[in-house]
Amino acid sequence: MASFNLKNICISLSKLRIGHAVTRSHSNGPRYRPPYWFASKERVMTNDYLTQENKQFVEEVMKDKMKVQAELESPLANNGDQSIQQWAPTTRRVGVIARKIGNYPIWSKDGKKMLATLLQVVDNHVVKYIPPEEFKPMKTCKVNWREKRRLGCLLVGSETIDPSTVTKDYCGLFDSVGMLPKKHLCRFMVSPEAVLPTGTPLLATHFRAGDYLDIRAKTIDRGFQGVMKRWGFKGMPASHGVTKTHRRPGNIGAGGEKARVWPGTKMPGHMGNRWRTLRGVKILRINTKHNVLWTLGVAIPGETGAMCYLYDTILPLRKLKSSPPFPTHPPADDLPIEYYDESIHPYDNPTVTYEEA
Amino acid sequence: MALAIRRTSDILCAARWLIRRDCRVLSTLPEKAEISQEVVVRRPAGRRPIANEAVLESRHIYPEFLPDPNPDWRNSLREKLERADMLKRRSQIDIPEFYVGSILAVTISDPHAQTKTTRFVGICIERKGCGLRAEFTLRNVVDHQGVEVRYDLYDPTIQKIQVLRLEKRLDEKLLYLRDALPEYSTFPFDMDPEILPEGTPVPINPVQVKLKPRPWLEKWERQELKGVSNIEEHLKGKDRIRRELRKTPWEKYDLMKQYRKTIPIEDQSEIWAEVHNQLQQLQLSRKKMARKRTFTAPKPQLG
Amino acid sequence: MNQAEVSKLVSKLRIKVPAEPRKLRSPKGPEGRIDKLRKTVTGLIKYERIELNHNRGDEARQYAERLISEAIRYGDCHKPTMDVANYWLLEKELIHKLFKVLVPRFENCNTAYTRMLNAPRPLPSRVDDKVVLELRGNPYPSLVNRQSNNRLLIQNVLLDAAKYDYRQSKYAEMAEKIGQREEAQALEKKSKEPTKESSNESKTPEI
Repeated sequence: MASFNLKNICISLSKLRIGHAVTRSHSNGPRYRPPYWFASKERVMTNDYLTQENKQFVEEVMKDKMKVQAELESPLANNGDQSIQQWAPTTRRVGVIARKIGNYPIWSKDGKKMLATLLQVVDNHVVKYIPPEEFKPMKTCKVNWREKRRLGCLLVGSETIDPSTVTKDYCGLFDSVGMLPKKHLCRFMVSPEAVLPTGTPLLATHFRAGDYLDIRAKTIDRGFQGVMKRWGFKGMPASHGVTKTHRRPGNIGAGGEKARVWPGTKMPGHMGNRWRTLRGVKILRINTKHNVLWTLGVAIPGETGAMCYLYDTILPLRKLKSSPPFPTHPPADDLPIEYYDESIHPYDNPTVTYEEA
Repeated sequence: MALAIRRTSDILCAARWLIRRDCRVLSTLPEKAEISQEVVVRRPAGRRPIANEAVLESRHIYPEFLPDPNPDWRNSLREKLERADMLKRRSQIDIPEFYVGSILAVTISDPHAQTKTTRFVGICIERKGCGLRAEFTLRNVVDHQGVEVRYDLYDPTIQKIQVLRLEKRLDEKLLYLRDALPEYSTFPFDMDPEILPEGTPVPINPVQVKLKPRPWLEKWERQELKGVSNIEEHLKGKDRIRRELRKTPWEKYDLMKQYRKTIPIEDQSEIWAEVHNQLQQLQLSRKKMARKRTFTAPKPQLG
Repeated sequence: MNQAEVSKLVSKLRIKVPAEPRKLRSPKGPEGRIDKLRKTVTGLIKYERIELNHNRGDEARQYAERLISEAIRYGDCHKPTMDVANYWLLEKELIHKLFKVLVPRFENCNTAYTRMLNAPRPLPSRVDDKVVLELRGNPYPSLVNRQSNNRLLIQNVLLDAAKYDYRQSKYAEMAEKIGQREEAQALEKKSKEPTKESSNESKTPEI
């Protein structure tokens, strides 16, 4: 009888299928594998045993193509005054993709030292625009906001690369608009008035010195770390009879009803390599020749050489008050090389002195 | 026909080369024919000539123009912009040549001082940082109290940097002056600048300081200091034993460790090619200005 | 940001140098690490081609490159360099080889002095990655596949044809451009000749 029961249970258990188990972690931790719908960019490079002349020929073709791409004129330069849209405080402009290239000090006019982070806007071009009606992104949350959607999606790429180094799928994205593939891509949600035609270059002059930015980037990947580094715990004494527990968290909870690990308890684990946004970063200085922005502070996520996305800030008190270059600044040759915020002391100005008050 | 001849000659060459190689491997001695060829080419000193040796020497005078050697922090554009900014600042103020051990007088704008400027005189005990972050520390003893002030070299509030005595000491850092007797770091504020005749090398001051008895701020006995005379007096047996245990004689031969701390010649010559001419011009114009000033206005101290 | 050391000048290595040195496990600590590498470097200079684990091979390669570049830069009359060579080469006859054989060999070399190739693993087992480390210009037969110059491979045949077409189209374009320019010049000349005359005419009365 007992064995019969057991069999029954086994059969019923085997029939039980888990069809739609959703596992979600409470934190948006690092994803190690891209989602299945993602067209991979990198291709497996193989040795093709090309002869020297053929290698040179491939390079030559690549150079010619790059040259053609570089000589393309900005679509803004031609039809300058035809379709000018007015900027309003509610419109959202496109952002740019920049590379963090390091930091160094910059002094203010009253002699205060500040550390600035340098962001280089590298070879940004608008790739494609998807109007709000056609834009159907993957659903990531339960809230349905399709009805009130009013922003279009503008795809921006940075750094042209050799098409032979990436997959065909990835190249197809650019082929359809007649461009060479870009190394980095980002989608910016923009108001329909702020649309830019394909192939428009975005420069550092898209922003003005003194404006505020939101900067989104991936933090430095620090790997699996203990609580002291990850959460700033104090650890335990080095001496006074303490053994085997110097950098450990100690107690993680009480007994009784809550005799379990509470969700969200700070524990050792993977640190870094997460998308983070730093809001309200001031632009101190702009170099128009090399397309470099100097921004205040060193808290911009990522190591030197990391890519980051720059947006106009959404902080209510630091939002744009007057009209910025809209939809973007057209490329011009007669700009001054440097723009400074009014609080900054340019290095070629005479020494700071204080007046008798 | 011509092709055939060339091919045979090629094969011959290859065969000869192989034979030569084999001989060399067996004997580890180069073939005689090669020697005779090389003797002509070979330099007398056996050292590769560097065309810009003189230019490379400026690394001692302007060490902050070399970037941090850590490859994770390097970026050619950032370094270029930084150097351009440094030159811009140098065109505004004369930042003279000085070394650790030189005695400097620095005048800065100070909002809290009565005259809105402050002047400090002291011996440079440390010089560190690169690029616009370059800094130096001056030390002096004022009213029996040791005072150290750290200055940023490119701070726009610095009005004047004057070298009162240009010299080097035996060590790269003089942090041990903190534990030395106060007379070694006492300098009068009304010191007159000593002018070296042009073209003389920077003198090295061989003075050896006397340390105060322990406790010390650092374990000076482990740092192989040349500028301290009485370090052995203050040591106990266990200190000597520990010093022996902590010695790392192999570090002198760790070629990669040295490499990771330096900027290679090829990179350096690029940097100096960019900035050396401008630095030279700045220096020349400063010298001309100084000469003019000496001719026009006689020194007030003499009168 | 630390200041670079200026007391010593080093030549740039032609290989990629990681930011951090690798740790090699040894009971003697950092000294043991250097000792291990000394053995490997000595072996490399002696045999010119050795097979070893990737970690140690990559680390030893950097030291070997540095040793050779130092020898090339300073020569055998420089005492500190001799000292370094004496430390790194455990068999003393190899010092002669370094200065008399390797320095002339690599003096005018524009690439790295050593070559590191991945070696096959004997079994799909949990052994470390193996590499072959060799000095360039060694007397042994080459390890790499020599197919890179085979013109009869299908990709090379196709590329040859593509190259021919590309060149032809380019020449045609250039010829067209030149033709157009000549035409334009001819037109300009024609149009200019009368203007010149007219300008001359207009100028003469002024004089």
